Amino acid sequence: MTKHSKSASSYSRRDTLRMMALGGAAGIFAPHLLTKPAFGQKAARTPKGRIVVGLSQEPTVFNPLMAHIEVDDGVHFSVFDALFRIDPKGVIQPNLAVEVPTQKNGGISEDGLKWRIRLRDDVRWHDGKPFTAEDVKFTLELITKPNFRSWRTTGHSLVRDIAVVSPVEITWRMEQAFAPYLSFLTETFVVPKHILEKEADPNNAAFNQAPIGTGAFKWGTRVPGDRVELVANSNYFGDGPYIERLIFKYIPDLTVLYTQFKSGDIDLVGQTYISPDHYEEARKLPSRVVTLEPKSSFESFYLNLERPQFKELQVRQALYAAIDKKAIIDGLYYGVPTPTETFMPRQSFYYNPGLPVQEFSVKRAQQILDAAGWVPGKDRIRVKDGVRLSFTNSTTSGDPLREQVQQYLQQAFAEIGVEMTISNLPAAVMWGEFWQRSRFDSVIVGSTYLIGADPDVTNRLHSNAIGNKGGRGSNNAQYVNPEVDSLLEKGSRTFDPEARRAIYFRVQELVRHDLPLLPLYQNIAVQGHKKGIQGAVSNGNTRTESWNAGAWSWAS
Amino acid sequence: MRGFLLNRLSQSLALLVIVSIIGFIILSLIPGGPLSQYARDPSMTQQDMERLAEQLGLNRPLWIQYFDWVWRLVQGDWGRSFRDGTSVLTVIGRHIFATLLLMGTSTVIAIAIGTWIGIRGATHRYSMFDYLATIGAMVALSIPTFWFGLVGIYVFSLQLGWVPAGNMYTIGDGSVLNYLHHLILPSVVLSLVHVAVWSRYMRTATLDAISQDFVKTARAKGLSERRILLKHVVGNALLPMITLAGVQLPSILTGALVTETVFTWPGMGRLFLDSLGYSDYPVVMGLLIFSAILVILGNLIADIVVAIVDPRIRLA
Amino acid sequence: MTALAISTAPSRWWHSRAVIRFISHRLALLGLAMITLLTLACVLGPYLLPYDSLHIDLRARFAPPMTGNHYLGTDPLGRDLAARLLMAGRISLLVGFSAMLLSIVIGTLVGVVAGYRGGWIGAVLMRTVDGFLSFPSIFLVLALAAALRPSPIMITVIIAVTKWMEVARIVEAEVRSLREREFVQAGRMLGLSGTHIMFREILPNAMGPIIVAASLTVARAILLEAYISFLGFGIQPPLPSWGNMLNGAQKYLASAPWLAIIPGAAITIAVTSFNFIGDGLRDALDVRDDHI
Repeated sequence: MTKHSKSASSYSRRDTLRMMALGGAAGIFAPHLLTKPAFGQKAARTPKGRIVVGLSQEPTVFNPLMAHIEVDDGVHFSVFDALFRIDPKGVIQPNLAVEVPTQKNGGISEDGLKWRIRLRDDVRWHDGKPFTAEDVKFTLELITKPNFRSWRTTGHSLVRDIAVVSPVEITWRMEQAFAPYLSFLTETFVVPKHILEKEADPNNAAFNQAPIGTGAFKWGTRVPGDRVELVANSNYFGDGPYIERLIFKYIPDLTVLYTQFKSGDIDLVGQTYISPDHYEEARKLPSRVVTLEPKSSFESFYLNLERPQFKELQVRQALYAAIDKKAIIDGLYYGVPTPTETFMPRQSFYYNPGLPVQEFSVKRAQQILDAAGWVPGKDRIRVKDGVRLSFTNSTTSGDPLREQVQQYLQQAFAEIGVEMTISNLPAAVMWGEFWQRSRFDSVIVGSTYLIGADPDVTNRLHSNAIGNKGGRGSNNAQYVNPEVDSLLEKGSRTFDPEARRAIYFRVQELVRHDLPLLPLYQNIAVQGHKKGIQGAVSNGNTRTESWNAGAWSWAS
Repeated sequence: MRGFLLNRLSQSLALLVIVSIIGFIILSLIPGGPLSQYARDPSMTQQDMERLAEQLGLNRPLWIQYFDWVWRLVQGDWGRSFRDGTSVLTVIGRHIFATLLLMGTSTVIAIAIGTWIGIRGATHRYSMFDYLATIGAMVALSIPTFWFGLVGIYVFSLQLGWVPAGNMYTIGDGSVLNYLHHLILPSVVLSLVHVAVWSRYMRTATLDAISQDFVKTARAKGLSERRILLKHVVGNALLPMITLAGVQLPSILTGALVTETVFTWPGMGRLFLDSLGYSDYPVVMGLLIFSAILVILGNLIADIVVAIVDPRIRLA
Repeated sequence: MTALAISTAPSRWWHSRAVIRFISHRLALLGLAMITLLTLACVLGPYLLPYDSLHIDLRARFAPPMTGNHYLGTDPLGRDLAARLLMAGRISLLVGFSAMLLSIVIGTLVGVVAGYRGGWIGAVLMRTVDGFLSFPSIFLVLALAAALRPSPIMITVIIAVTKWMEVARIVEAEVRSLREREFVQAGRMLGLSGTHIMFREILPNAMGPIIVAASLTVARAILLEAYISFLGFGIQPPLPSWGNMLNGAQKYLASAPWLAIIPGAAITIAVTSFNFIGDGLRDALDVRDDHI
């Protein structure tokens, strides 16, 4: 196995993981687990010192309900609370709620339609006003307000009849059973009604630039283009905070980010972490803790199946066989990432370990193509029925490592008589219509399929999620498999983890067989912090390293 | 004078309109758009994307978007960033200090060194110094600024460890000394080209001045060479330099953009690249207009100053 | 105007004053020699080197200069840097040269028409020139490069689009001053068409400044290509250009500094040479223009 799990052997880890996932989803665990220092060590109650987190992108959106990107999450998790929070083992824990609703404890009705959430009574907003069920109702309603520039509305748009039973109890009805919603709620931060209801236009509220939450840290100052400073909320109801100030420092260059970590200017490396080529050096730095942490995203060679070149399964199999994953991972990525056969992250309870493992063989690739009737033409590029085995590949410009992979594959494919031309685009162009309307031949892309830790991947793989065909999601490979469709539909209505597990195992098998995308490897982040920092635990089920900054402390 | 001013102002206004139209058209040609950054989020559906496009007014016809933008601009509303909803003027305001600091410092360096080289070259014409300065200036004009920056980082920061490799200051240390320490390398790098330009102009200007009658008169009066040089020659040579400063503005801005990238300097250049990367149209347009205004103002002020000093211009 | 020296060149052109003055300009000769060498190296070099500029060999990555047959070392994919440098030179020089030609054509056209016609046509044309000049050109170039797919041809066009204005200004000023000369008026009296007068009578007399501007524009075009490619908006890999070779180099500055130093040196040499040549031409053709 790889080195990404330093703490325990991966086998025993997976077992605990399974138990936890089951237990968590079933809600056996005691409430308030998160509020006690379940992870991280106990530290003195008076907040001391500051921690500087270095980020390579700048957090700019501070209203957690508005459209934002990954890097904003660190601030949201620190300033706000959601009803639930997901822990590193994938277990959903209560946060503003006192327990996680399940069908067993009656929080969710048998048909999955009626939800009842009980809330904490000891939570106050940073301005001292008490937090109540009214705030939750306001939050859920604001998300679906037509003129509000909100982030995802999936799940939220199914919520009806929100009723405040008491300040500490809220109920609603779902238009249809939707199991992933619980997971979504772990990333739905509650905003204060008493402040935002006064705003005529919530899109441009002053709140968005100086948010008020219930979280472990209060808003401090922001120096745009440079840093965001948060200060300790000493009245926090949960664990911590143990540090006086939390600073998110924006350092746009990865090399500089690493250099500043080395020199000690930043205490903890945040997104997008230490680049793989610095891993060997970083590991040996004195008084730094550098670990490999699996991320939820994985890298793939993603195909547009509507292109005549890629319609045949054999072509996709041949391309896959021609990829020397080991050479790429060891040669270009310094051995950091782990090869994978699926979109499901290894740390997930739903990860299927039994998928066939890709074998690199130029010869086999050539045989497959020969057998399928693709004959080399005069220019050594294979042709069949007038279709040349030639296509373009795109990725976002400005990522040297990915561009190296691309050029390496270009050479590898040339060896089996396949021509790949490179056409890279700036991010804003790449992920526009080019991606959303499937205008590409193939792309190299790192993507996350799961929302939170929920295994539902309808948006990525269901045939009604093809944006180019008027679908609602981002199945941009235009992958169609009726069995996958029906499995996904069943999975999103199923609440029982074991039953869901079987469903998503089968989905992974089918996708591995059909190869709408050639899975390369799961992304592994090289994370690092100073030795003195306690409680900095990575959480692959969230998008940020700063998901539990409240529990961070300096060893005295 | 008033007629001259009005004429120049109306011309400048027409320029701004042209600049803004060109900018708007180019931006609209860029495929993709500000929503691309959400496209990889697994939970964003096509409906979510369309809703956001509608809310941001992105699916209106181009000319409506343009007139809407102009109408707001006229009222002093530069629009809001698509990324975080802050007003564009605020965004620019936040980044302008870093850029002005860098540009200012490097201009001071360029003027100081450039003036010295130029005058010395003119007074010691055809000397070894003059010859080397001429070649040096031409080489300096040929070195890519960013490459000079990279080499500078390699030598002075990575090898010698004298100066930091980037950023404007160390976090938690906002002292003036710390700023200066960070400022040395980027401002020297940025000033290189301008030292070259400045010294060439100063040399020519000094040569022109030396041959003037009043210098001969001053010499005849028996004033010391040094005094003549400082009072008459430099004084007269500085006038064309004001025009030069105006004309040089765009190139300083360009240089600043590249220098900021190499040194991760949090200024307008980086802001422009970032905003372009996110297709944050309001900010990109704001920066285009802002820099165009800066350039036009620079030229205008230079013209006015010259016109005041030299009344013949007004008639022209 | 001494520019007449060209149009009235004697039969033995090497006896002309301009040529003699150019030859006596040592720097210009040096520049010419360096450019010739560089061009020859870029054209012939790749055939003489043992490696292909695109051949990837992961086992040989990051070899420092003078490792085996890798005279200049290798890049992060183990490709031979010398081979890439020379191939890149082809692209960069070609882009620089073509961009110059294109911008000279556009600039001359606009300049001649604006200068000769004057009036509102001239005013509109020249205000447009001012408009283009008011952008710091890098902003314009980056926005354009983001808008259009960056192929070498596109990059050439983009550079030309942002570099023609200076030529237009120079030509316009020159033409305006020539417009009222006797030979032009004579042409008008003879009933020659405007186009004929503009391009047959006036233009040849304005060639001096245009030639000088041309050599300086090549220099600037090469620099500009390097800037955009460095920022990742220009020529796309695996096609090498001097600029995009520098694109990823900052990342490896500490571990493989040659990746940054070598292509930059090539750019500097090429640009310096063109500037030397331009300077020599300016002296030889006796052009004095503050715009250049």
